[in-house]
Amino acid sequence: MIKAENISKSYDSIKALDHVTTEIKKGSIFGLIGSNGAGKSTFLRLLAGIYRPDEGEIFIDGENVYENENLKSRLFYISDDQFYFPTGNMKDMADYLERIYPRFVYEKFTSLAQMFHLDINRKMSTFSKGMQKQAHIILALAAQPDYLFCDETFDGLDPVMRQAVKRLLADAVAESQMTPIIASHNLRELEDICDHVGLLHQGGIIFEREIDDLRLGIHKIQCAFATPKEAKDFASLDVISHHNRGSLATLIVRGDGAKTEEVIKDMSPLYYELLPLTLEEIFITEMEVLGYDIETLIY
Amino acid sequence: MITIDYKDRKPIYEQLIDNVKELVVKGVLKRDDQLPSVRQLATNLAINPNTIQKAYTELERQGVIYSLKGRGSFVASNIIDLREQQVAELNQTLAKLLAELFHLGVSKEQIITVVETIYREEQTS
Repeated sequence: MIKAENISKSYDSIKALDHVTTEIKKGSIFGLIGSNGAGKSTFLRLLAGIYRPDEGEIFIDGENVYENENLKSRLFYISDDQFYFPTGNMKDMADYLERIYPRFVYEKFTSLAQMFHLDINRKMSTFSKGMQKQAHIILALAAQPDYLFCDETFDGLDPVMRQAVKRLLADAVAESQMTPIIASHNLRELEDICDHVGLLHQGGIIFEREIDDLRLGIHKIQCAFATPKEAKDFASLDVISHHNRGSLATLIVRGDGAKTEEVIKDMSPLYYELLPLTLEEIFITEMEVLGYDIETLIY
Repeated sequence: MITIDYKDRKPIYEQLIDNVKELVVKGVLKRDDQLPSVRQLATNLAINPNTIQKAYTELERQGVIYSLKGRGSFVASNIIDLREQQVAELNQTLAKLLAELFHLGVSKEQIITVVETIYREEQTS
């Protein structure tokens, strides 16, 4: 289990993380979402023990991660700009990692490389960006860490590769209870593979929840009434946003779906439809509430 | 056999539950048939094993499947309940549609004609 207690991290005058407290259970797949510059990469680097927090502490399986070699041999961090030896190939990386990760399985490395059609003797500097990402995913899986930190790892992979990587991750989670933490902007990607998501904004965690609860706890309702309704008519609901277009009203409402449906039904609409939100819509809605509004960005 | 529609707004675990139930009601999965293991299904569908475990736990709670420790999950025997449940759900949908037709001014007789035509056609085919 990962426990972050009240961590803060600044770069000179820029506050990247501001008193973040969160818990990530073992064996879950955690999606880290957030606006650009929200502090996602900083958070991952702190978890990986690369940075020391200015304030607060991070515990992984009860141990402090910073400068903890023993613990770090069970963590793998795939950075946004991956490291490789300037003139080295994948084999050199594997030889190097094998010494750091006691559970590194060389056969797994070679068989995965073959599966992904990557030449382990070719200089990594001649790989395309997507291939370099693939290479690091392969190395990470061969290292068999307990915790895998992926910084936008899926972005930049082609659809076939993404699906293949997701399968490999699902398998690793089922087989060895690996805990992947995936930072991404691509919410559709996270939606089907993650079971928990955390939303970071301006250095703080806005919420951290199980994805199904999240999706079932917020609904979009489209409804039409014989006489137009105003915002106060929906006062008994926890309305986040409300738009009227003619007689058609579109609402986004927090709370239990069945209860919401009942309230709407009692108002005898001509027509109504209740839809769970996609993760992308939840993200946009929550960000709007925080004043990070698309409308204000575009105009 | 079990598929996920990523465009569907329903959560994946609900889709899994509905999917398995449908296969059972349609007789594709029969009593005591073994379901794919969590790991197998997770790898095949490229989705989170925890989500599949959640769906299986719910299916077990609803009595659709049972699990044997170390051997996997199997289809339970009381499939009749499941059929009744589906009939009830469809009746609800039907009620909704009938109410809509009523508000559109469609008469009872017109609907009965439609019902009779459909039943006649289904019986002969």
